Amino acid sequence: MSTISASEKVDGFTRKSVRKAQRQRKSQGSSQYRTQSAPVELSPLPQLKDTPSAEQQELFMQKLNQCCVLFDFLDSVTDLKSKEIKRATLNELVEYVSTYRGVLVESAYPDITNMICTNIFRALPPSDNPDFDPEEDEPTLEVSWPHMQLVYEFLLRFLENPDFQPSIAKRHIDQKFVLQLLELFDSEDPRERDFLKTILHRIYGKFLGLRAFIRKQINNIFLQFIYETEHFNGVAELLEILGSIINGFALPLKAEHKQFLMKVLIPLHTAKSLALFHAQLAYCVVQFLEKDPTLTEPVIRGLLKYWPKTCSQKEVMFLGEIEEILDVVEPTQFKKVQEPLFKQISKCVANAHFQVAERALYFWNNDYILSLIEENIDKILPIMFGSLYRISKEHWNPTIVALVYNVLKTLMEMNCTLFDELTSSYKAERQREKKKEQERDELWKKLDQFKLGNAPLVQNNSHSIPSVQNNNNNNNNSNNNESQEATSTPSNKDLAVTVEVEDSTPCAK
Amino acid sequence: MDAVKLMKELRVNYEQEASYLPKETGLSLIESTVQGDSRISAKCRDAKVEDLWSLTSFFDYTTQTFVLAVNLLDRFLAMMRIQPKHLSCISLSCLHMAAKVTEEECNLTPTDELIRIGQCRFTVSDLCRMEKIVAEKLNFKSKAVTALTFLHLYHQITASYCTDKETLSLDKLEAQLKACLCRISFSKAKPSVLALSLLKQEVEAIQSEDMLEITHHIQRHLKQIADSELLLWGERVARCLSEYASPECSKPNHRKLQWIVSRRTAQNLHSHRTAPELPTIPEGCWDESEDDSCEDTMSSGEESLSSSLGSDAEGPYFPLRL
Repeated sequence: MSTISASEKVDGFTRKSVRKAQRQRKSQGSSQYRTQSAPVELSPLPQLKDTPSAEQQELFMQKLNQCCVLFDFLDSVTDLKSKEIKRATLNELVEYVSTYRGVLVESAYPDITNMICTNIFRALPPSDNPDFDPEEDEPTLEVSWPHMQLVYEFLLRFLENPDFQPSIAKRHIDQKFVLQLLELFDSEDPRERDFLKTILHRIYGKFLGLRAFIRKQINNIFLQFIYETEHFNGVAELLEILGSIINGFALPLKAEHKQFLMKVLIPLHTAKSLALFHAQLAYCVVQFLEKDPTLTEPVIRGLLKYWPKTCSQKEVMFLGEIEEILDVVEPTQFKKVQEPLFKQISKCVANAHFQVAERALYFWNNDYILSLIEENIDKILPIMFGSLYRISKEHWNPTIVALVYNVLKTLMEMNCTLFDELTSSYKAERQREKKKEQERDELWKKLDQFKLGNAPLVQNNSHSIPSVQNNNNNNNNSNNNESQEATSTPSNKDLAVTVEVEDSTPCAK
Repeated sequence: MDAVKLMKELRVNYEQEASYLPKETGLSLIESTVQGDSRISAKCRDAKVEDLWSLTSFFDYTTQTFVLAVNLLDRFLAMMRIQPKHLSCISLSCLHMAAKVTEEECNLTPTDELIRIGQCRFTVSDLCRMEKIVAEKLNFKSKAVTALTFLHLYHQITASYCTDKETLSLDKLEAQLKACLCRISFSKAKPSVLALSLLKQEVEAIQSEDMLEITHHIQRHLKQIADSELLLWGERVARCLSEYASPECSKPNHRKLQWIVSRRTAQNLHSHRTAPELPTIPEGCWDESEDDSCEDTMSSGEESLSSSLGSDAEGPYFPLRL
């Protein structure tokens, strides 16, 4: 790495763009391909559509086996012909499974699943970019995608084939298969994750015996993500699948599902990369609440507990989620959470970050939320009033000020009596505070005067100002001497004071 | 201020109030206008006055400013035929004029801010022109004697005579006056009478004999306030105040308000709430397949083919039947 001159650094740190440009892309070799001793060449087989149906099955198996050979795509010059043959074969297999009936005989299942496993199950390469920021950087795409894509396509068509029999397939599509599939969700390639999402969705739908296992594994992945690694690329896709599962929950909700909501989904909101999967997460949460409205209170309290304190981008997301929740909330449930919720909203509208304030103020443009507020105006208005009134005078952003006007006007129209009462008590409070401040100022001024007028006394008599005030009326000289004596015994301040007082009393007479 | 001086001031104001009354015929015309006409209706005017109150409150102007602004507005509307589209410009000019009279210069909100917050479509120069027109038409009589003037006087008189533990809350009275002024019918009342009715209401509510005596005293002092007049307005005021104090909320008219947000927030608002792509998977579904193409391949094993998954029927993935 060449050294960077001081002038290129900002605040003493190297700029990220400069660091990135310097990083050289090393070509990775995968150990997958080094085990193949001799380069394999594929010989083209006849087309399935040209083969009489009696022989199709055999040819089908041969082609499947052919596709078990893996090719190194990082090396862009070798095996070009074989790669093309494999690609064409895979394409053909996809079509074959999609268009012909009676293809999925029992004996075919092992070869099919074997081909799939061989091609897709692999250890994912370590990321090229150790500082991979999913929001900023381009993902590293899977190099063997020309083949991989077709294998995934084939797997999907296989699952969706009308002749597909889960009872036979379950011997091969078992827990081990699912586990390996889930690991692939960490792929950086979004196309791969998209396929995996659809595939896992179909597997969950068709293999009832695997459902509990799948749910448990997803649980583990999320918990590991939240509490240990904070790294997993497939959170959004898994949440999307969960959304369709939650949507289908039977009522009453099982305790397991409620646990999942509170122990996994709510804490998931604390992840640093929330922006990548927030839409899916919010959807899941709202689905839960539509299924069981009594979950509203714990959910909202959970969100309030994890409310972002320093990340404004996250705060905006949380506010969006709260609005989505309020859109479906039942009025009786709303009453239980309105006070803590609006205390938080009241802080948000006063937030110096204009996007947070805007998003919170925009709640008042939602008809349903307005109707909820209206019903409970006597509780909510006192909570909101103070910060709204304050920021109408103090906020730097003119758009916010205009929105505050809208909100205040709306609230005023809901209950003008209460509004007027709050206005006058707020003003009275402000007057009181102003008065206190004035009094404080006056007091300081008075103390200042003392300092200026009685400089020598104060120097000697630093322990006890009250006696200074007393001594002002008395003979200063005698007291001066005595006080000097007193200060010469610094060890016992109390004694010094008592000495002073005792001595001054006779003078006071 | 001692009682005698106050009473004198009361008389002086009482003699002047007539010159600041809006023309009764004009007000009646507005009251009788049906909404949707090319003329201002009572509902129009009332809604505008409520807007003025919101603005007054928002900009921390005093009740005095508000009452004065309403007075100027009513006087102007009673003498001129106005198109409804000009009403917001006129009302805002009245507010600005009133503020210039009552408020300190440092507390005056600049006109562009007034227009922006009031969400009006006209310009600052429009506002200036309208102010000149209004001032001219009202013969530059901007400092009016209003119901608030009387209310303050009555309050001071009561305070000076009464050494009661109970005192009248001026804030409350002002709020009640504001509620009354939001209805055009109260602009027909003489300010002294209106204020006295309000005073009487409140005094009766707190049931102070002493204060009641004082209100009678005031009435006698201002000889031309007839019992019947006071009674009439007293009833109307009572009705208005009971509506004001009721816990029932009026449905807010927020649709008229513009909600302007920054570009980023606007993008955020519309980006979410996309329809989910993956179809629902019902929990614990053991349903028999309805699709006859699968009947022959159904095994009697524990797993039933849940081809009730609508997903299989979508798009190019569904295999053609042979």
